[in-house]
Amino acid sequence: MATKVGRAAAVAEAPTSRYSPELLLGLYRMMVKCRMCDEKARILFRQGKYAGNFYSNVGQEAGEVGAGYSLRPDDWVAPSHRDWTANIIKGAPLNLCFAQLYGKADSPDRGKSTPAHMGYPPLSVITPASTIAAQLMIGTGVAWGLKRQGKDSVVVAYCGDGATSIGWFHEALNFAGVHRLAVLYVVQNNLWAESVPLRLQTALSDLSDRAKGHGIAGVSVDGNDILAVYDAATEAIARAREGQGPTVLECKTYRWYGHSEIDPAKYRLKEEVEAWKKKDPIPRFEKYLADHKLLNETSKKQIRDETSHEIDEAVEFAENSPYPAPEEALEHVWA
Amino acid sequence: MARTITFIDAINEALHQEMERDDRVCILGEDLGMGGGVFKATAGLYQKFGEDRVLDSPLAEGIIIAAAIGASLVGYRPVPEIQFADFIGDAVDPILQQAAKLRYRSSGGFSCPITIRVCWGGGTGGGLYHSQENTVWFAHEPGIRVVAPSTAYDAKGMLIASIRDENPVLFFEHKKLYRTAKGEVPEELYTVPLDQASVRREGRDMTILTYGYATTIALEAAEEMAQRGVEAEVVDLRSLAPLDKKTIVASVRKTNRCLIVHEDTKTLGMGAELTAILNEEAFDDLDAPVMRVTGPDIPPVPFSPPLEKFFMVDKDKVVAGMEKLAAY
Repeated sequence: MATKVGRAAAVAEAPTSRYSPELLLGLYRMMVKCRMCDEKARILFRQGKYAGNFYSNVGQEAGEVGAGYSLRPDDWVAPSHRDWTANIIKGAPLNLCFAQLYGKADSPDRGKSTPAHMGYPPLSVITPASTIAAQLMIGTGVAWGLKRQGKDSVVVAYCGDGATSIGWFHEALNFAGVHRLAVLYVVQNNLWAESVPLRLQTALSDLSDRAKGHGIAGVSVDGNDILAVYDAATEAIARAREGQGPTVLECKTYRWYGHSEIDPAKYRLKEEVEAWKKKDPIPRFEKYLADHKLLNETSKKQIRDETSHEIDEAVEFAENSPYPAPEEALEHVWA
Repeated sequence: MARTITFIDAINEALHQEMERDDRVCILGEDLGMGGGVFKATAGLYQKFGEDRVLDSPLAEGIIIAAAIGASLVGYRPVPEIQFADFIGDAVDPILQQAAKLRYRSSGGFSCPITIRVCWGGGTGGGLYHSQENTVWFAHEPGIRVVAPSTAYDAKGMLIASIRDENPVLFFEHKKLYRTAKGEVPEELYTVPLDQASVRREGRDMTILTYGYATTIALEAAEEMAQRGVEAEVVDLRSLAPLDKKTIVASVRKTNRCLIVHEDTKTLGMGAELTAILNEEAFDDLDAPVMRVTGPDIPPVPFSPPLEKFFMVDKDKVVAGMEKLAAY
């Protein structure tokens, strides 16, 4: 059932939080880490440090982290091209994430896939393709397999608003509905599919309504409210683990930058972008944490400094990693 | 112990036996469970193994293949079915962009051991959308095997080998062979290599390269021409990707002439690649240009019996091709 959750204001007034300090600070640290890694990845691309392209997730961290933060090592993630940071959230070593950008031999795929198309097999993050919504179908297949094995592991499959238009999105939801599979489909509705606005994508206002047509649960939340996403995701994941089926979780958010680093996104109004930047999920959560006496300027700076140091080390690792030998292009075509 | 059974019984037996042997094997597709498949290739499996392992899927080829891919990532060896090759369009992304590339794009981090059974081919009055061949769409893509057995023995042995192979495999079953191809098939489990062509008939005067139902036709034509003193060697490719270049080239080096026979349309069909291989690797051995007898470049396959007959390769067309090549 589609419901709307708007809870930030109510939470901000709460004198004590119902969440543990460890969880709150963990969510915060992860959002900051994703933001800083993503911004660093953009800078490195603009500096010409690596080829290809990068699909920034900046602005969408609350959805990304809120949905993926509570996963267990045995859970699976099916990312799209915009979900490089989903690897970081799942726990992939930062060194390898940056080696991925550079197409170096230490990247998990040894330079085969493009910068943002990262997977991490040891932690069950599926290496994505560029074909939109394909990851949702494969993730659904994984969930079918997990169910048949009697496991209570779940699959979190990410996509954007554009992906909800293509047939494979619906084939995935339909199959997951029939078999009540343990999948959480996270739709990061950032209002723009590359350069196409949502009004030309669908007549729906809430993309979670897509779920209704497949007889599965759907919920739309403020995608810039980390706790709203976290609550909805943990509830959906808990239900999925109990065999109660899949959920479509729409996170209403905004992509700060272009579709990719080579897209200046001139099709959007400056006012729209600025208005959404004011809804930045990170300062918003910082206020919540400060109100609850869990964060101050000193600890904020400390977290950023530590993250920055970690990123510097990862960049250094990536730059020192060798490129794959040209002949490696021939490897792994066949078993 | 071997007995004589049909091609489709060989398929059915391979599925029964391999599913008994390995509980990771599961099948899914349209109408193949309770209905046993439109050609009964999967008869009895649902009753024996239940819905958990024999799943009637929604009518959506994309998720049939993608669900199989996903299940393979967690240890299963799924055998999804595409009811007719004509309907494979919706599954092209899952097959070409996902299954064929998962191993490569993860440098071996993930592999995708699925066997996609596909019913193909004309000659049964199926018309435009129950007769098509699209083997070369997929043979063009590195990373996925494309095989097309032509005998009951190979059907069983190659299906078992496909299921056990770590690569994704497209297993093309020509519907005309289902009940016309009969042969000795061992009762027990066995495998036939997936990367080797088979010399079905030895000969010294020319090589016929063929596959699928056309193999049967080529053998008939070769027998007729043998009465006239032309001994053709008939090579059944069996694997369309990768191609067994060694066997192909060795045969042509021996016979110095090559006729390619396939049911598929001519332009950019398998014959084009085979010709290129022979140009590259056996040019000096050829006494005549490589020639082709194939389906015409029209949408396959028009329905009305005379139209279908016009499309299909048959013995007379192959004999005419052999005569032309022998006379060159």
